[in-house]
Amino acid sequence: MSSHSFAKVLVVAKDEWRYWLRSKLAISVLVIGLLLTLSAAIVTAVTMMELSHTRASLQDTAEQTFVDQPDRHPHRMVHYGHYAFRVPSPLSTIDPGVDAFTGNSIFLEGHRQNSAMFADQKQGTALTSLGSLSPAFILQVLAPLLLILIAYSSVSRERESQTLSFIVSQGTSIFTLIIGKGVALLCVVGLIMLPVIASSGIAIVQGESIVVVLSFLSAYVLYLLVWSLVVLLVSTAVSKNSESFTALLFVWVLFCIVMPRIASSTASASIVSPGKLETDFAVIAELRKLGDGHNANDPAFSKLKTSLLRQYNVETVEELPINFRGAVARASEAQLTEVLNRFAENSMQEELAQTQVSRNFGWLSPMVAIRSLSMISAGTSIETHHRFMREAEDLRFSFVQSLNQVHIDKLNYADDMNRNANAEAGQKARVSAENWQMIQDFKFQLESASARLHRSMPAFAQLFMWIAIAGSLIRFFGRRAI
Amino acid sequence: MTYLLKQLGREWRFMLRQRYVLILLLCSFLVSGFAVFTGLAEVAQQQQTIERLKLADAKDRLEAQAKYNDPGSLAYYSFHLTYSEPSNLAFAALGERDVYPWKHRVRMLALEGQIYESDSQNAELAQAGKIDFVFVISALAPLFIILLFHDLIASERSSGRHDLLVSTAKSKYALWGSRGIVRFVAVVLCLMVPFYLGAMISSTGFLTTLLVSIWCIAYLAFWTVLSLWLGKKLASAPRIASILIACWVLLAFVLPILSDLLINHSVHSAKGGDILLTQRETVNDAWDLPVSTTMDAFAATHPQYADYSYQGEGFDWGWYYAFQQVGDQASTDMSNDYRAAAAKKYTLAGYATLLSPPLLLQRKINRLANTDALAAFEYEQDIRDFHKALRMAYYPWLFGQKKFDKTQLTSLPQFEDSTHNYKKVQNEQ
Repeated sequence: MSSHSFAKVLVVAKDEWRYWLRSKLAISVLVIGLLLTLSAAIVTAVTMMELSHTRASLQDTAEQTFVDQPDRHPHRMVHYGHYAFRVPSPLSTIDPGVDAFTGNSIFLEGHRQNSAMFADQKQGTALTSLGSLSPAFILQVLAPLLLILIAYSSVSRERESQTLSFIVSQGTSIFTLIIGKGVALLCVVGLIMLPVIASSGIAIVQGESIVVVLSFLSAYVLYLLVWSLVVLLVSTAVSKNSESFTALLFVWVLFCIVMPRIASSTASASIVSPGKLETDFAVIAELRKLGDGHNANDPAFSKLKTSLLRQYNVETVEELPINFRGAVARASEAQLTEVLNRFAENSMQEELAQTQVSRNFGWLSPMVAIRSLSMISAGTSIETHHRFMREAEDLRFSFVQSLNQVHIDKLNYADDMNRNANAEAGQKARVSAENWQMIQDFKFQLESASARLHRSMPAFAQLFMWIAIAGSLIRFFGRRAI
Repeated sequence: MTYLLKQLGREWRFMLRQRYVLILLLCSFLVSGFAVFTGLAEVAQQQQTIERLKLADAKDRLEAQAKYNDPGSLAYYSFHLTYSEPSNLAFAALGERDVYPWKHRVRMLALEGQIYESDSQNAELAQAGKIDFVFVISALAPLFIILLFHDLIASERSSGRHDLLVSTAKSKYALWGSRGIVRFVAVVLCLMVPFYLGAMISSTGFLTTLLVSIWCIAYLAFWTVLSLWLGKKLASAPRIASILIACWVLLAFVLPILSDLLINHSVHSAKGGDILLTQRETVNDAWDLPVSTTMDAFAATHPQYADYSYQGEGFDWGWYYAFQQVGDQASTDMSNDYRAAAAKKYTLAGYATLLSPPLLLQRKINRLANTDALAAFEYEQDIRDFHKALRMAYYPWLFGQKKFDKTQLTSLPQFEDSTHNYKKVQNEQ
């Protein structure tokens, strides 16, 4: 583009802005848009930071209470249990994603994998079923509507008032005109995004990777660019303002309101995920084969017994230098966890497959594309929840096995077997509270920036496809328009 | 009469020639059909899941019962399935069943430690929300109606036929009235016919179907009248539509979201985590406390077992189940508070929906379909009642008032869905 036509583009853009500033509708739409994003950014940021603070302090309390427990039998502490809390990601101040829909705390105990509990949505009002006050929702659903309201007539207006042929005959190509109007619209996009940009600056301060934040913001710019192109396209392709408006509104309803829900309904209808309760039956059946870790005489552990006796070269378990009950508990926990993990992994894969079906609708609606892209980058997608479940499981396994190790090393087998005889024997079958110090500090870490970027690539491809389609259609209709 | 029919017939033929009206009508039919279809599929899935669970649950319990012989172990190892079946209107209003659990397995241990476990659905899909008939009517239909009705008058004006039409027509109402009626009937049919088919398939009651129809048609009429009224006042079609869309955004998003913020800030409750923590601490502390402390606390609420004497010095099942119950008792206040807060939010949200017709419609139909938060609260109460019945059945055996005999296991309470005439157990003894 020569500097001459570049100057012309700027003139067109300036002129479009002048038109908007004179129009009551455009001004009110702009002001409302800015207010909405601003208030959404502030409210969501405050809410998520409060949540983050609460959960972090609950985590500290849980660790402190664990350490403060008195002298006990180590297996009692296995059942006493521990908690893991999911602290929301820095970018959740812009896109809270599934945070309210999944439980955010897990009770960790021996022999069981509990599900996450206390999803905020369950204590909610159901008033936000159509939309929530998150910047993500405003940008994904309402911002396109604002762009339509401001610019539906950008080209059709010129045609309806017959200024189009006048402008073109004076040597301004129709594409210069369209690009100029596009530049003006991009300024609107920049304006609407200002509060979000400020909010993501805070996310960087809180430790989010700069690359992720940049990719997150550019995804939204690309998305709103798609919509700017669609608006210009329809406005160029039809002959009347009212037709342009109706058509755009229709496209918006389809892309932003209908498609996301069709996507999730299709996903859950096409891939059936049995749910935890149902797979638990299979788990129980499998676990019955393993034997009860509380019962050292369970025949399932006879192999362990023989190998231990041989290893320490003794005749009976009483002669072992270690506590045999602890060894059984440790071995059984390891076997059991392997089974539990296999089933948990399986159901996560099913959930992912479901989610993938709904994400593929990004090829049919740019809104679905940005929705998944946004949650993936912000670390508020289902994958992050799965990661939390896995990390919590690691924590559970490690503290249970550490306690079992204490059981093996620090508690005499004879005392242990005698523990229910009387109160005094019960006192003897305990270990010192110092052993509870082994509990690890748990701080939920998001996945690495590169993993999230890698995962968001398909959605980027979807957005680029939309830009390419809209761009080439504008070229096609632009040529015919004169 | 014939004049009116002639008018309507003419407008009907006129409408069929307008491509954009036909596209809109076709779209509303397709979307409504899709919503009903996936709604039916979802409900069928839920029912099949419940049936499979019932079988698996019975089998699992029989296995546990075959393996153990004393009531303490039997109570410890047998789980019991509870569930809440979808109603025959649920296909049209899936409601909050993807947020609240509708299936749960409990055993005789402290209930507060079990009841918050949730077997939830895919969170990312729940976040996007599913498309059901109620959503189509409450959120989408207004948009279709706005698109259909905002330019009823303005389009004639802009194409220059307005004055001619008005002056040749017998009356204003004959012209705009019949045109409006034809479009309204067409869009109502396109939206409602899939629902009636769905209602037939899932044998929804006549009265329920009628009630849903009345609510929906009244709601659609509200948007039609609003569109026509604004359409008469203003000349430019895009301006009319912009204002209507603004109304829609205000009623469907802005007002509900603001009310939600307000309600969440005004209602405070115990944290769920605190309930669980209190309950666990009490249960765990009981191991180290003198047996009499636990038994006294238990006897305070269950005087009929006050004279139970603790067997021996070691482990005793009666004592074990007593401290499970004492754990629940310690967190009763918090738990009640937690539920009261949720119920209060539900009530307040009811007032808030008076400001928002779309959510009012959703709430009314979700209530009819028994798929709302209230239904979930009732289901939770059913679980609590069932757990109590279970305890009452085991206690006489555990506390030695009745001799245990394995054949008596068949007389254990069975969970029945309250929507299917579950008789609440009022067995206080």
